Amino acid sequence: MAPSLIRSPVQLPPAEALAISQQAPAILQSAPSAVSSSILSKEKSELWIEYENLILSCLRTGDERAAHQCLDRLVTRFGEDNERVLALRGLIKEAEAQNNGELEKVLKEYEEILSKNDSNIPIMKRRIALLRSMGRVSDAASALVQLLDFSPTDLEAWSELSDLYFSQGLYPQAIYAMEEVLVLAPNAWNVHARLGELQYMAATASGAGNGAYQKQMAEALKRFSRSIELCDDYLRGYYGLKLVTKRILKDSAKPTKQTDDGDFSLPDTRTIERLNELATAKLAEIIRHSSANDRGWRGYNAAEVAAARELLSEDASSDIKR
Amino acid sequence: MPSELELQISPIVQESLVHNTRTLVNLQSLTASLFGVSAGILGLESYSGFLYYLIFSLITSALFYVVRVAPTSIASEKPPLDTSRYFRGPVEFWTGGLMNGLAGFILTWTLFYGLVSA
Amino acid sequence: MAQVPVQTIHRDPQLFYWILFPITIVMILTGILRHYATVLMASAPKKLDQKTTREQRSLLHGMQVRSSFHALSKRSFNSRRDALITAYESGAYLKDPERKGQPPANPMTDPSSMEGMMGMMKNQMAMIIPNTLIMSWINAFFSGYVIMKLPFPLTIKFKSMLQAGVATKDMDPRWMSSISWYFLCIFGLQSVFNFILGNDNAASQMAQQMGQMGPQTAQMFGPGVDPNKQFLAEAENIAVVDHYSVLDGVEDRLLEGIRV
Repeated sequence: MAPSLIRSPVQLPPAEALAISQQAPAILQSAPSAVSSSILSKEKSELWIEYENLILSCLRTGDERAAHQCLDRLVTRFGEDNERVLALRGLIKEAEAQNNGELEKVLKEYEEILSKNDSNIPIMKRRIALLRSMGRVSDAASALVQLLDFSPTDLEAWSELSDLYFSQGLYPQAIYAMEEVLVLAPNAWNVHARLGELQYMAATASGAGNGAYQKQMAEALKRFSRSIELCDDYLRGYYGLKLVTKRILKDSAKPTKQTDDGDFSLPDTRTIERLNELATAKLAEIIRHSSANDRGWRGYNAAEVAAARELLSEDASSDIKR
Repeated sequence: MPSELELQISPIVQESLVHNTRTLVNLQSLTASLFGVSAGILGLESYSGFLYYLIFSLITSALFYVVRVAPTSIASEKPPLDTSRYFRGPVEFWTGGLMNGLAGFILTWTLFYGLVSA
Repeated sequence: MAQVPVQTIHRDPQLFYWILFPITIVMILTGILRHYATVLMASAPKKLDQKTTREQRSLLHGMQVRSSFHALSKRSFNSRRDALITAYESGAYLKDPERKGQPPANPMTDPSSMEGMMGMMKNQMAMIIPNTLIMSWINAFFSGYVIMKLPFPLTIKFKSMLQAGVATKDMDPRWMSSISWYFLCIFGLQSVFNFILGNDNAASQMAQQMGQMGPQTAQMFGPGVDPNKQFLAEAENIAVVDHYSVLDGVEDRLLEGIRV
């Protein structure tokens, strides 16, 4: 399946990004360079999204000339001062910067724009991303918190904050931010799974007490289950479920019946075993089908499938040893 | 009617529902206008014209169900004639088109009746 | 009652070419014109300063927390609830906390709210002006012509409406004058516009009237609404939420529901 230009290319593997950016000359040629304002020509909003995504792909693959062409078209349509155009222009400048000094200069420009208009969210986000990529993580975090203070319904910003805290090892904060994402998108299975991953990592990180450990493992288990319930072929959900149940079964710690103060408690061992079996079977199915490249089973990330295969083979070898 | 908890457990994607309904409405208003054309050319009058419209729009809904809805809906273990996999309620699916298309039907019916029988 | 003989009126076929088609074409073209006029006149979303954004989005955030409480665990929901209620009641998110408790400014004097009203006025105008123009055009040129016969019978009550401008007492109410064709077009052309302009067009008046019935989202931050009252109401709403989680018993549901 050809990667679609409508979808954001940020998550694409390098080969597909390259494929997209190689389409750039053809796309630029086929679309008219200036959109006539007559009524007869239908202006599609998809076209502008395509241009944006094309810029991102071209920058990834180093085709700055095409990126500039796309940007020029966006400028002729939306004007120099459009917030998103400003952010894209900044992005191109960042990509072209050769050294830290030039990046600093871009950062200065962002701050200048922000001093004129303090609610320019795209530029704020660019500034945060730039701060992060320059290694000034704490500055980025504080800028993000400031952004979220006046715009607490920004899903993207919350998940970025979560990722930022997670990279610093601040699990409780990362979990809190992820929960905010969940508040805004209560049915996003990938967010449920991600929260499960965070809970699992927080639980297995050293320094967690037994009570907190149990509680977090229980919530991770439930998060992965919910994620699978919402999307019944989600690889990461099954992977996480397998991981968590395996770990819980291995501890075989007596499930302390703690007082129910609103926390989740682990289900009984029988249920956990069945969940483990379910996850194993489903993972095996996914691996089998996706490596055979069956219809309807494509689109799994190759790296994720490989990781799942490894997890299963690990499991099998430990079974033999026992 | 699903309870609130059930809706939260298995949520309904509002955009898809709107899109489905809109597709159906589009189809129904197009076919209603065409039925008006044919009724006018046939020279149907009063009740027979409305009956014609009723029967044919029900046939349209039924065809839509058979061609577009039934294959996946029955595969996912819904009883036959249940449209809840894609639409909000059976009433909306089966009779919503009657109301949507009526104005268009009368317009084209009158126009072609006038043109033909003049 | 004796069977009324079917009335036949011989009409000049030229009536169709010079009345029916012009009216129909003009109606369609006005619809298209109205659509594009609305698109052109749509004012760009107003730039909000940081404080206003903060006020509105904080309120939205509270609503989101309230409506998707089921995705959170009880502990995290409670902590959010406490924080939100305290902040809402103290007015921490208000644009200017000093003005808390004062009545909202008169929407007529506030320039920012005037713009919203202008937008509404413009839409109204786009609807009313073409209609009046076409009505008077039809009345001036085509009044008094009987152009068509409806394919279905109507009661005598409709006579005055359908045969406006035709003073013939005994004529069957099925005969209609040009002005009633105009009314028929208003209601029936919706589907035509759907095909020409796509679904969310502004050409049809029916859709506009529908839009005016449910303008709750626009009203939420509209002029003359006291944000402090909204915050207090939202705090109350959050406080009464009876929390449960979709995560309760999710494993059992999963084991029941999914077969491999």
